[in-house]
Amino acid sequence: MLLFRSEEHIDRWCGFRGLPRGGIMSPEQCWRLAQAWYADKLSPDWRRKTLDEAEAILTGIGLTASFWRLRA
Amino acid sequence: MVDHTDTDSAALDRDVRVHVFHHAAGTGRVPISSEVATALGRSRAEVEDSVQRLAADRVWFLAPGTMNIWAANPFCAVPSNFRVDALGRTFWGICIWDALGIPAALRADAVITTRCGDCEAEIMLEVRDGALVRGEGVVHFAVPAIRWWENIAFT
Repeated sequence: MLLFRSEEHIDRWCGFRGLPRGGIMSPEQCWRLAQAWYADKLSPDWRRKTLDEAEAILTGIGLTASFWRLRA
Repeated sequence: MVDHTDTDSAALDRDVRVHVFHHAAGTGRVPISSEVATALGRSRAEVEDSVQRLAADRVWFLAPGTMNIWAANPFCAVPSNFRVDALGRTFWGICIWDALGIPAALRADAVITTRCGDCEAEIMLEVRDGALVRGEGVVHFAVPAIRWWENIAFT
Protein backbone atom coordinates (compact mmCIF):
# COMPACT_ATOMS: atom_id res chain seq x y z
CA MET A 1 0.00 0.00 0.00
CA LEU A 2 1.79 3.03 -1.33
CA LEU A 3 1.05 6.73 -1.36
CA PHE A 4 1.18 8.59 -4.66
CA ARG A 5 1.03 12.27 -5.48
CA SER A 6 -2.03 11.78 -7.71
CA GLU A 7 -4.02 9.21 -9.67
CA GLU A 8 -1.90 10.00 -12.74
CA HIS A 9 1.14 8.84 -10.80
CA ILE A 10 -0.69 5.62 -9.85
CA ASP A 11 -1.54 4.94 -13.50
CA ARG A 12 2.04 5.58 -14.55
CA TRP A 13 3.37 3.27 -11.81
CA CYS A 14 0.91 0.50 -12.78
CA GLY A 15 1.60 0.95 -16.49
CA PHE A 16 5.34 0.73 -16.00
CA ARG A 17 4.88 -2.61 -14.21
CA GLY A 18 2.14 -3.97 -16.45
CA LEU A 19 -0.26 -4.11 -13.52
CA PRO A 20 -3.95 -3.25 -13.51
CA ARG A 21 -4.91 -0.35 -11.31
CA GLY A 22 -5.89 -1.65 -7.87
CA GLY A 23 -8.01 0.08 -5.27
CA ILE A 24 -7.57 3.66 -4.23
CA MET A 25 -8.53 5.63 -1.17
CA SER A 26 -7.85 9.06 0.23
CA PRO A 27 -5.32 9.60 3.03
CA GLU A 28 -8.28 10.44 5.26
CA GLN A 29 -9.90 7.08 4.51
CA CYS A 30 -6.58 5.35 5.15
CA TRP A 31 -6.29 7.15 8.50
CA ARG A 32 -9.76 5.96 9.46
CA LEU A 33 -8.85 2.45 8.36
CA ALA A 34 -5.65 2.60 10.43
CA GLN A 35 -7.55 3.83 13.49
CA ALA A 36 -10.15 1.09 13.22
CA TRP A 37 -7.52 -1.57 12.59
CA TYR A 38 -4.77 -0.66 15.02
CA ALA A 39 -6.28 1.37 17.88
CA ASP A 40 -6.39 -1.74 20.09
CA LYS A 41 -3.08 -3.25 19.00
CA LEU A 42 -1.27 -2.52 22.27
CA SER A 43 -4.04 -3.95 24.41
CA PRO A 44 -3.25 -7.22 26.21
CA ASP A 45 -6.72 -8.32 25.14
CA TRP A 46 -6.13 -7.63 21.45
CA ARG A 47 -7.51 -10.28 19.14
CA ARG A 48 -7.67 -10.64 15.41
CA LYS A 49 -10.70 -9.06 13.80
CA THR A 50 -13.38 -11.35 12.51
CA LEU A 51 -14.40 -11.33 8.90
CA ASP A 52 -17.63 -9.53 9.81
CA GLU A 53 -15.71 -6.87 11.74
CA ALA A 54 -13.23 -6.35 8.93
CA GLU A 55 -16.05 -5.99 6.42
CA ALA A 56 -17.80 -3.47 8.64
CA ILE A 57 -14.61 -1.40 8.87
CA LEU A 58 -14.16 -1.27 5.10
CA THR A 59 -17.81 -0.50 4.46
CA GLY A 60 -17.80 2.11 7.21
CA ILE A 61 -15.14 4.15 5.46
CA GLY A 62 -16.90 3.95 2.12
CA LEU A 63 -14.94 1.09 0.54
CA THR A 64 -17.79 -0.85 -1.05
CA ALA A 65 -16.50 -1.66 -4.56
CA SER A 66 -15.81 -5.30 -5.44
CA PHE A 67 -12.07 -4.69 -5.01
CA TRP A 68 -12.63 -4.37 -1.24
CA ARG A 69 -14.75 -7.50 -0.89
CA LEU A 70 -13.39 -10.03 1.62
CA ARG A 71 -15.51 -13.02 0.60
CA ALA A 72 -15.43 -14.88 -2.69
CA MET B 1 -9.56 -31.83 31.63
CA VAL B 2 -7.26 -28.84 31.23
CA ASP B 3 -4.22 -29.28 29.04
CA HIS B 4 -1.62 -27.39 31.06
CA THR B 5 0.87 -27.39 28.21
CA ASP B 6 -1.56 -25.52 25.99
CA THR B 7 -2.54 -23.18 28.81
CA ASP B 8 1.09 -22.38 29.58
CA SER B 9 1.86 -21.78 25.90
CA ALA B 10 -1.11 -19.48 25.55
CA ALA B 11 -0.04 -17.48 28.60
CA LEU B 12 3.52 -17.21 27.36
CA ASP B 13 2.36 -16.21 23.88
CA ARG B 14 0.26 -13.45 25.39
CA ASP B 15 3.20 -12.20 27.51
CA VAL B 16 5.55 -12.29 24.51
CA ARG B 17 3.04 -10.53 22.27
CA VAL B 18 2.34 -7.79 24.80
CA HIS B 19 6.03 -7.29 25.52
CA VAL B 20 7.02 -7.05 21.86
CA PHE B 21 4.32 -4.52 21.01
CA HIS B 22 4.91 -2.42 24.11
CA HIS B 23 8.66 -2.44 23.58
CA ALA B 24 8.17 -1.34 19.98
CA ALA B 25 5.74 1.38 21.05
CA GLY B 26 8.00 2.59 23.83
CA THR B 27 11.29 2.58 21.97
CA GLY B 28 10.57 2.52 18.24
CA ARG B 29 12.51 -0.73 18.02
CA VAL B 30 11.12 -4.24 17.66
CA PRO B 31 13.02 -6.46 20.15
CA ILE B 32 14.81 -9.68 19.31
CA SER B 33 14.00 -12.95 21.06
CA SER B 34 16.93 -12.86 23.48
CA GLU B 35 15.83 -9.43 24.71
CA VAL B 36 12.27 -10.67 25.18
CA ALA B 37 13.56 -13.72 27.06
CA THR B 38 15.61 -11.56 29.42
CA ALA B 39 12.75 -9.16 30.03
CA LEU B 40 10.28 -11.96 30.78
CA GLY B 41 12.70 -14.17 32.73
CA ARG B 42 12.15 -17.06 30.32
CA SER B 43 14.59 -19.14 28.34
CA ARG B 44 15.51 -18.06 24.84
CA ALA B 45 14.26 -21.39 23.47
CA GLU B 46 10.85 -20.92 25.08
CA VAL B 47 10.56 -17.42 23.66
CA GLU B 48 11.71 -18.49 20.21
CA ASP B 49 9.06 -21.21 20.20
CA SER B 50 6.49 -18.59 21.15
CA VAL B 51 7.72 -16.15 18.51
CA GLN B 52 7.34 -18.91 15.92
CA ARG B 53 3.84 -19.83 17.08
CA LEU B 54 2.78 -16.19 16.88
CA ALA B 55 4.35 -15.89 13.44
CA ALA B 56 2.43 -18.97 12.31
CA ASP B 57 -0.70 -17.26 13.61
CA ARG B 58 0.19 -14.13 11.58
CA VAL B 59 0.52 -11.93 14.65
CA TRP B 60 3.81 -10.85 13.09
CA PHE B 61 6.17 -11.72 10.26
CA LEU B 62 9.72 -13.01 10.60
CA ALA B 63 12.66 -11.94 8.49
CA PRO B 64 13.24 -14.82 6.04
CA GLY B 65 15.46 -17.55 7.44
CA THR B 66 15.67 -15.97 10.89
CA MET B 67 13.91 -15.89 14.23
CA ASN B 68 13.85 -12.11 14.13
CA ILE B 69 10.57 -10.28 13.82
CA TRP B 70 10.55 -8.20 10.64
CA ALA B 71 7.14 -6.62 11.13
CA ALA B 72 4.91 -6.60 14.18
CA ASN B 73 2.33 -4.54 12.35
CA PRO B 74 2.07 -1.65 12.45
CA PHE B 75 5.70 -1.60 13.62
CA CYS B 76 8.47 -2.54 11.19
CA ALA B 77 11.81 -3.64 12.63
CA VAL B 78 13.92 -2.07 9.92
CA PRO B 79 13.99 1.37 8.27
CA SER B 80 11.60 1.69 5.36
CA ASN B 81 10.08 4.26 3.02
CA PHE B 82 7.47 5.01 5.72
CA ARG B 83 9.03 6.98 8.55
CA VAL B 84 6.90 7.99 11.50
CA ASP B 85 8.05 10.57 14.05
CA ALA B 86 5.98 10.50 17.22
CA LEU B 87 6.52 10.95 20.95
CA GLY B 88 10.08 12.09 20.27
CA ARG B 89 10.95 8.78 18.65
CA THR B 90 11.25 7.42 15.13
CA PHE B 91 9.20 4.45 14.00
CA TRP B 92 8.93 2.65 10.65
CA GLY B 93 5.95 1.10 8.90
CA ILE B 94 5.96 -1.33 6.00
CA CYS B 95 3.26 0.59 4.11
CA ILE B 96 1.17 3.73 4.37
CA TRP B 97 -1.62 1.84 6.19
CA ASP B 98 0.82 0.74 8.88
CA ALA B 99 2.53 4.14 8.99
CA LEU B 100 -0.83 5.66 9.88
CA GLY B 101 -1.46 2.71 12.19
CA ILE B 102 1.43 3.77 14.40
CA PRO B 103 -0.13 7.03 15.67
CA ALA B 104 -3.43 5.14 15.84
CA ALA B 105 -1.88 2.48 18.11
CA LEU B 106 0.12 5.01 20.12
CA ARG B 107 -2.80 7.45 20.28
CA ALA B 108 -0.25 10.15 19.65
CA ASP B 109 0.47 12.99 17.28
CA ALA B 110 2.80 12.04 14.44
CA VAL B 111 4.45 13.21 11.26
CA ILE B 112 4.73 10.59 8.53
CA THR B 113 7.29 11.02 5.81
CA THR B 114 7.17 8.89 2.69
CA ARG B 115 7.81 9.22 -1.02
CA CYS B 116 5.48 8.98 -4.01
CA GLY B 117 5.58 5.39 -5.23
CA ASP B 118 6.03 6.69 -8.77
CA CYS B 119 8.21 9.79 -8.82
CA GLU B 120 9.68 9.51 -5.31
CA ALA B 121 8.75 13.07 -4.40
CA GLU B 122 8.59 13.43 -0.63
CA ILE B 123 5.09 13.49 0.84
CA MET B 124 4.33 14.29 4.46
CA LEU B 125 1.20 13.50 6.45
CA GLU B 126 0.44 14.75 9.93
CA VAL B 127 -1.82 13.44 12.67
CA ARG B 128 -2.71 15.80 15.48
CA ASP B 129 -5.24 15.35 18.28
CA GLY B 130 -6.64 12.24 16.63
CA ALA B 131 -7.22 13.87 13.25
CA LEU B 132 -5.34 13.80 9.97
CA VAL B 133 -4.53 17.48 9.61
CA ARG B 134 -2.18 17.16 6.67
CA GLY B 135 -2.85 14.54 4.05
CA GLU B 136 -2.07 14.93 0.38
CA GLY B 137 -1.95 12.35 -2.38
CA VAL B 138 -3.81 9.12 -3.11
CA VAL B 139 -3.35 5.71 -1.46
CA HIS B 140 -3.16 2.72 -3.80
CA PHE B 141 -3.67 -0.92 -2.88
CA ALA B 142 -2.31 -3.17 -5.64
CA VAL B 143 -3.70 -6.40 -4.17
CA PRO B 144 -7.46 -7.02 -3.91
CA ALA B 145 -8.75 -7.06 -0.34
CA ILE B 146 -9.73 -10.72 -0.43
CA ARG B 147 -6.10 -11.69 -1.02
CA TRP B 148 -4.61 -9.62 1.79
CA TRP B 149 -7.41 -10.71 4.10
CA GLU B 150 -6.61 -14.37 3.39
CA ASN B 151 -3.02 -13.65 4.33
CA ILE B 152 -3.88 -11.71 7.49
CA ALA B 153 -6.51 -14.18 8.63
CA PHE B 154 -4.47 -17.21 7.52
CA THR B 155 -7.57 -19.01 6.35
